[in-house]
Amino acid sequence: MKKISKKGMNEFIQSLMADYAVFAPVNIDGIFSFRPICNFQQIDRDYQNSKKPPKEVFFPQSETMFEYKNGKVESTEKVTRKRLLLGIRPCDARANLLLDHVFGGQAYKDLYYTNKRDNSIIMGLGCSQPLSSCFCTSFGGGPFSTAGLDVLLIDIGDRYVAQVVTDKARQVLTGKFAEATRQEVELAEKIKSEAEKRIKSRVEMEGIKDKLDEIFDNPFWNRLSEKCIGCGVCTYLCPTCHCFDIADEVVDSEGKRVRNWDSCMFPLFTLQTSGHNPRPTGKERMRQRIMHKFDYFVENYEEPACVGCGRCIMNCPVNVDIRNALQEILKT
Amino acid sequence: MENLQRKIRDEARNLLAKGSVDLIIGFEEGTMPLRASPVFIHSQHDVEKLVWNCFCENNLATYLARVGSSKVAVFAKGCDSRSIVALIVEGQIKREQIVVIGIPCQGMVDRRKIEKGVGGEILGAKEKNNEVLVKGDDFEKVFEKEDNLYPSCRNCRHRNPSIWDILIGEKIEENSEVAEYAEIKEYEKKSINERWEYFSRETGKCITCYACRQACPMCYCEECFVDSSYPKWIEKGLDPSDLALWHVMRAYHQTGRCVDCGSCERACPMEIDLRFLTKKINKEVKDYFDFETGMDMKVSPPLAVFSADDRQDFIDSGQEGTGKSQG
Amino acid sequence: MKREPRILAFLCNWCSYAGADLAGVSRIQYPPNVRVIRVPCSSRINPLFIVKALQQGIDGVLVAGCHPGDCHYISGNFVARRKFAIIKSLLEYLGIEKDRVQFAWVSAAEGARFAEVVKEITEKVGRLGPIGKLVKMRKA
Repeated sequence: MKKISKKGMNEFIQSLMADYAVFAPVNIDGIFSFRPICNFQQIDRDYQNSKKPPKEVFFPQSETMFEYKNGKVESTEKVTRKRLLLGIRPCDARANLLLDHVFGGQAYKDLYYTNKRDNSIIMGLGCSQPLSSCFCTSFGGGPFSTAGLDVLLIDIGDRYVAQVVTDKARQVLTGKFAEATRQEVELAEKIKSEAEKRIKSRVEMEGIKDKLDEIFDNPFWNRLSEKCIGCGVCTYLCPTCHCFDIADEVVDSEGKRVRNWDSCMFPLFTLQTSGHNPRPTGKERMRQRIMHKFDYFVENYEEPACVGCGRCIMNCPVNVDIRNALQEILKT
Repeated sequence: MENLQRKIRDEARNLLAKGSVDLIIGFEEGTMPLRASPVFIHSQHDVEKLVWNCFCENNLATYLARVGSSKVAVFAKGCDSRSIVALIVEGQIKREQIVVIGIPCQGMVDRRKIEKGVGGEILGAKEKNNEVLVKGDDFEKVFEKEDNLYPSCRNCRHRNPSIWDILIGEKIEENSEVAEYAEIKEYEKKSINERWEYFSRETGKCITCYACRQACPMCYCEECFVDSSYPKWIEKGLDPSDLALWHVMRAYHQTGRCVDCGSCERACPMEIDLRFLTKKINKEVKDYFDFETGMDMKVSPPLAVFSADDRQDFIDSGQEGTGKSQG
Repeated sequence: MKREPRILAFLCNWCSYAGADLAGVSRIQYPPNVRVIRVPCSSRINPLFIVKALQQGIDGVLVAGCHPGDCHYISGNFVARRKFAIIKSLLEYLGIEKDRVQFAWVSAAEGARFAEVVKEITEKVGRLGPIGKLVKMRKA
């Protein structure tokens, strides 16, 4: 394990800015978002997690794919600068691995996503104070899990203990970080185990997929979807949701092709030009969302598309709680 | 509150037992502190789920647009009941198919304000008389309800329902002296660039999740203008001009329809100041047309009617004024 | 060099458009900055059109209809009048310069008046300059 003082961290990040575009959680009117920064002091003490998930660093909500003018096309898939994603939480780092299945799969690589991903260093920050809405441990994650991270930082007060996970990180951190002392490592371990104990919220995932295979026509879905108002908060704030729409924005002979996040919770999502909608009501859409995450994704990639970050629970305007939904599913 | 809660459950049980309604839309305990969650009660057995407290912030009238032809009972605070009247007036539901369980409302708390007023995560919250007791890992704090009401509740002049079939509890005294539009008037004094700065800063935070639209009972259009692709009025990206267009038009579409329940603002995950737009619309509707949404089922909404003497001081070009024909 | 202001005028077929025609036939000069969209009635104007025009880069929008009481469809402009009052107030509140959105009642006989109205809005908008707020920024 390595270590670095917070002041040292400040200097380290500043030094990287020559070669890396650094993304860190920025406080805008009380809400944190991952934004490129030109000046790094420290990670805000109030930082719990970002409102919008850090997937937007690799998969922006609105991304121009290419521009065209008078017959000439210019694609934006090339990445000209390496990126450093600093302060991402372990749940979101795991979520990126899930997105990698979709965008960086065997059959097809989405260069807009993979080029950014391949050229990034991910420096995560362990969660010393998980929230009561966190249930990352139900999915094999944890507040100090290193999955999807190049480096994991553990805040021990006036300094960080850094767990170097990948060779990529090892190269960047050479010389800048010192060896952590035994006491520092022990303190880090203590913080880790206390944080893990704090996560009380647990969802039983065993048997969920099999149950979902059986209950497609069960009236359970009517009850579950009743209170849902059909907005896109859960999908847009979810670190694993990845649906998008592609549109052209054209003026005369120039234009651009843009990829925007889309949400399966909107009626427009499956509306066909004939006017027919195979998912006509909230019930079909809610069912689809849950099936996608906990049945189809498991079918395709052997793990559910949820990391237990709790954003959907905290931000749903009507307090739909996926944990309750999953429990109900097992009981049907 | 417990008294009211008991009454609510009794009434609900009665309605279902008699078969007067197929469904009761109310509130149940939330899964997070400071939250209550809308609940749909289909059977008498579930009536015990119903709660009533200062966390019941959602406007349940938003569900009425999709009940079809079912007979439905719905909880209604003052603001919610006005939305119900507005929906009836606009022909979205029939008066006969709803049973309004009106509840005079003392105001809902501003949970975001309370969350910001403590030093850690709130793990439990309880309402007790005029106070909200919250506790976390290493703290306990008492908040006065009066000081922590949601802004739309603080300035509310219609706490009693304007329509009800069953009234739970006694009517409460209205706060008719409150300067409802004081904040808007203050805002209007700002310079033109300051106002634009604030508007673009706020709308710039928007992520087009449309929670504001979905939470609002009056946004029931089968196809919202943002979803129209022919003509395509608005692009689906995050261009600041498109975000501004969305918010300007949503506010405009609330003319004569908004009851200032605050649901839009409470639903917004980015905590955008949405009410500064809709409140302005409500103020103009009051000034220009002397109309307040949802007070009277017999009064038509302002944009559906007109008068030959309507104000036209918005015309400041040229010499126009009288509206008289000039041959 | 500042570019010329772009004015969009929504004119109702029966009165204001006819008034504009009359101005033309009478050879009354008025600024060529105005582009006209003819609509059956001023009540056809959804305030969305006005805001959309500004977003597309129009510097000033003029909506002209029949004098209240003279609407070809009897009450169209009465209905429109209420809508216009609200949208005008809202746009000004948000920080859009009030001279950018103007309304006028112009009858079919008021050719000279139409020219005056156009002249007035063109001058006022010209002084304000190209629209900077609300317009969708495009790469140069």
